[in-house]
Amino acid sequence: MIDRNIRHVLIVLLGCFLLLFIQLNRVQVVDAESLRQHPANTRTVQRDFSRPRGIISTADGVVVARSVETDGPFELLREYPEGDLYGHVAGYLSFNIGADGVERSYNDELVGRTPALQLGGLAGILGTEEATGQVVLTLRHDLQTAARDALGDQRGSVVMLDPRSGDILAMWSNPSFDPNRLSSHDGQSVNESFTELVNAEDNPLRAKAFRDIYFPGSTFKLVTAATAIETGVLRLNSPVFDVTTEYTPPLTTRPISNFGGNPCGGPLIDLLRQSCNTGFAQIGAELLGPERLTRQAQAFGFNTVPPLDIPGAVASRFPTDFGAEQRPPSVETPAGVFEDSPGLAQASIGQNDVSATPLQMALVAAAVANEGEIFAPRVVGEIKNSQGETVTTPNPQIWQRPMSTATAADMRLAMLAVVEDGSGVRAQVSNVEVGGKTGTAQLGTEPPQSHAWFVAFAGRPGNETELVVAVFVEATEDNGDQTGGRAAAPIAQVLIDHYFNG
Amino acid sequence: MRPRTVELGLLVLASLITVSAYGLTSLGRAASLPANIVPFLGILVGLLLASHLVVRRWAPHADGLLLPLAALLNGLGYVVIARLNPDLADSQSAWTFIGLAAFALFLIAVPDVRPFERYRYTLALVGVVLLLLPLIPGLGVNINGARIWLRVGPFSIQPGEFAKIVLSMFLAGYLVDKRELLTVATRRLGRLNIPDIKHFGPLGLAWGVALIVMVAERDLGSSLLFFTLFIVMIYIATGRTAYVVFGLTLFAGGAYAAHQMFGHVRQRVAIWLDPFEDPKGDGFQIVEAAFALADGGITGTGLGLGTPGKMPFAATDMIFAAVGEELGLLGGTAVLATFLLFVGAGFRVAATAKSTFEKFLAAGLTALLGFQAFVIIGGILRVLPLTGVTLPFVSYGGSSLISNYIALAILVRISDRANRPDLLPSPSRVGVPSEGVPT
Repeated sequence: MIDRNIRHVLIVLLGCFLLLFIQLNRVQVVDAESLRQHPANTRTVQRDFSRPRGIISTADGVVVARSVETDGPFELLREYPEGDLYGHVAGYLSFNIGADGVERSYNDELVGRTPALQLGGLAGILGTEEATGQVVLTLRHDLQTAARDALGDQRGSVVMLDPRSGDILAMWSNPSFDPNRLSSHDGQSVNESFTELVNAEDNPLRAKAFRDIYFPGSTFKLVTAATAIETGVLRLNSPVFDVTTEYTPPLTTRPISNFGGNPCGGPLIDLLRQSCNTGFAQIGAELLGPERLTRQAQAFGFNTVPPLDIPGAVASRFPTDFGAEQRPPSVETPAGVFEDSPGLAQASIGQNDVSATPLQMALVAAAVANEGEIFAPRVVGEIKNSQGETVTTPNPQIWQRPMSTATAADMRLAMLAVVEDGSGVRAQVSNVEVGGKTGTAQLGTEPPQSHAWFVAFAGRPGNETELVVAVFVEATEDNGDQTGGRAAAPIAQVLIDHYFNG
Repeated sequence: MRPRTVELGLLVLASLITVSAYGLTSLGRAASLPANIVPFLGILVGLLLASHLVVRRWAPHADGLLLPLAALLNGLGYVVIARLNPDLADSQSAWTFIGLAAFALFLIAVPDVRPFERYRYTLALVGVVLLLLPLIPGLGVNINGARIWLRVGPFSIQPGEFAKIVLSMFLAGYLVDKRELLTVATRRLGRLNIPDIKHFGPLGLAWGVALIVMVAERDLGSSLLFFTLFIVMIYIATGRTAYVVFGLTLFAGGAYAAHQMFGHVRQRVAIWLDPFEDPKGDGFQIVEAAFALADGGITGTGLGLGTPGKMPFAATDMIFAAVGEELGLLGGTAVLATFLLFVGAGFRVAATAKSTFEKFLAAGLTALLGFQAFVIIGGILRVLPLTGVTLPFVSYGGSSLISNYIALAILVRISDRANRPDLLPSPSRVGVPSEGVPT
């Protein structure tokens, strides 16, 4: 009897220890990698802090980060000659607060811990060569500088990338920060700088390009239009939508109107050219329905963290729940009516609960530019050894295939039309084929506040489309009446012109 | 094989493991063997050999696993402490010496633990006094928010560690006495047989003691352990699930009330649920432990090659994470397995014990040690909220180490008497309850 009871207690204890064993496996094996990558984890950085470390340079050879010898508590100090220009990309290396950006995600390469670098370094074991690696960014210094200058004092972000590879050519967010302030060996001043940055009104550590999400406004109509074409619901030139100034979605009395109360209508290509709210709201709410639009948005990468090769990228959002079906499909509403059909109408024009990073909107344009395929965005394209010889050049990886080549071709025509004689005429560049889409995301009317967006692709006529640009100018109290066409498109124009015409 | 031969062989093995680990740690840190490795080996083997000889002389029939398992845990803990903080390591070696001396003295001085049964109420009083001592102004001190310490000269001692043993003895004696009464069910509630309501008194008392420890001394871990000890021992004595259900209900009620009333309890629970909410502040300790374990991975960073010093309380509360970082999943699992083996050996002692008192005492002490390991490792791994108790034999801490060695001595003493050939039942009596066999 007593022995039986003891056995029961033993069984309970066995169960407890089994639980510990399972949990130990979870922490040390299953979740280990994500714990090592956790932003608060400073262990790897501290271990590698005083090791020799390779340089980070731009694709065109400008040094972005390097280690210099000092007399301080550590032998080497990390320096960032370009200051805040590459703060969000190269990141920082700090003993107290850890590392970010390339300094963090390519730490193994920089200290020479990858197999490729160590194999290459075998020859150097006899000599005194260091096995450190150099990391070459895909970013170009001239484009990064141009992006900063074009955005100027405005808060916002510019992303330029090559749609054929996902290589990011420029990625600038304002405000940015000077990584030298966080990499100094003066622990107290580093902590103070960090606290100051984190508590600043517009946290400069939070790169607007990929760490924050905003209403994409009308740039999201690209997704809605692609859904309509991809699912065969609409063609570019038919049917023709009535010209109207207002559209009232099912289950509500609050109408959606066009920008400035203007009337618009016509076939899909004209709706996109004029950025016609009423048409797209109707397409989303009545013709496409929640399921198709959500699926297509997710195929473009919404609701997934993009596989950017530096830490902290966030997922863009598209709602997945528009409530239960209220009315079955009918002639008037072929997609049926749902509890939140009014919300769906808003979402179709990039309002409601839709929000996106500037990087995500660049990737939407990249899908159009690259025949329907989105390459995983990346900021590093090449690893060299300490002698400057190429060790690895990772192949571009396809991330999403949101639409067919045919759909992408139609979308391409529509976006060309936007710049040719639609809302994006200010992005025209001579001798360059530019397609784009404007976005003006209204946050409020009292006082008026709107984000201004422009996403574009560009290429020489007859050649491959080699550039995608996304420009985002954040709403502030001073730029209340800004629109995508007037505030953001000219920035894209300058950058495209710089890229092709120098 | 004879138990003493097994013990000697395993002690040599434990010494070798400890010394190798000690040497490897130094190699990992400074790329050279420690200067004192030969004397270290000598002292270690000498101490363990002396303990072995004491057992051989004064408890020759005792189980041969208990001492080597404790020595292994103690040795591994020492290596990790030495790696974290040499000053602590010096103290810990002194505590180890005193612990083993207490172990030996107990075996020499106490030929039989059954006489303790008679003094059960005195022991209860002693236990409660020990528990409450730190609350006396001027005598007790607050360290890290918990008031469980006594300042005696240059030392701080935790009387609660000793109270655990004394209260185990009281409970064992009390339960032998009241077992019959407690077992009789007088009514039924659904599928539960409910004993007479007045017998729930001791459980209420246990609850009160646990509550005082939690509220007045802010020692959540010990409070949890005391209460677990009471429930486990009453269950072993009576086999009545009703006590467990009632006990757990009381515990749940107390825990809920504490959560409502005390900020520090709420904070612990919040950290448990999401330590990453504030990884640099409240959640720091637990988050750093997770990072340390993740760094270790399957095989560990290697002894001396990790950075376990980043964790607050690495040598005490968090020592399991330090082991897991440098020795990996394999090392952590080895520690878990060692504790399981110890628990198994302890319960075997209980099962073979000659008298009911010894059975209860051995089972209680074993369960206490097993659950204590579970509570602190589970706290680190976020199976439960983190409460600061030591990992028996491994963590830094004099009171804990000495009291654990005394508990070990009690187990060895009980095991010895259980296996004495002159006390073994004759073949014809095998299977007959061994209770009350005359000595």
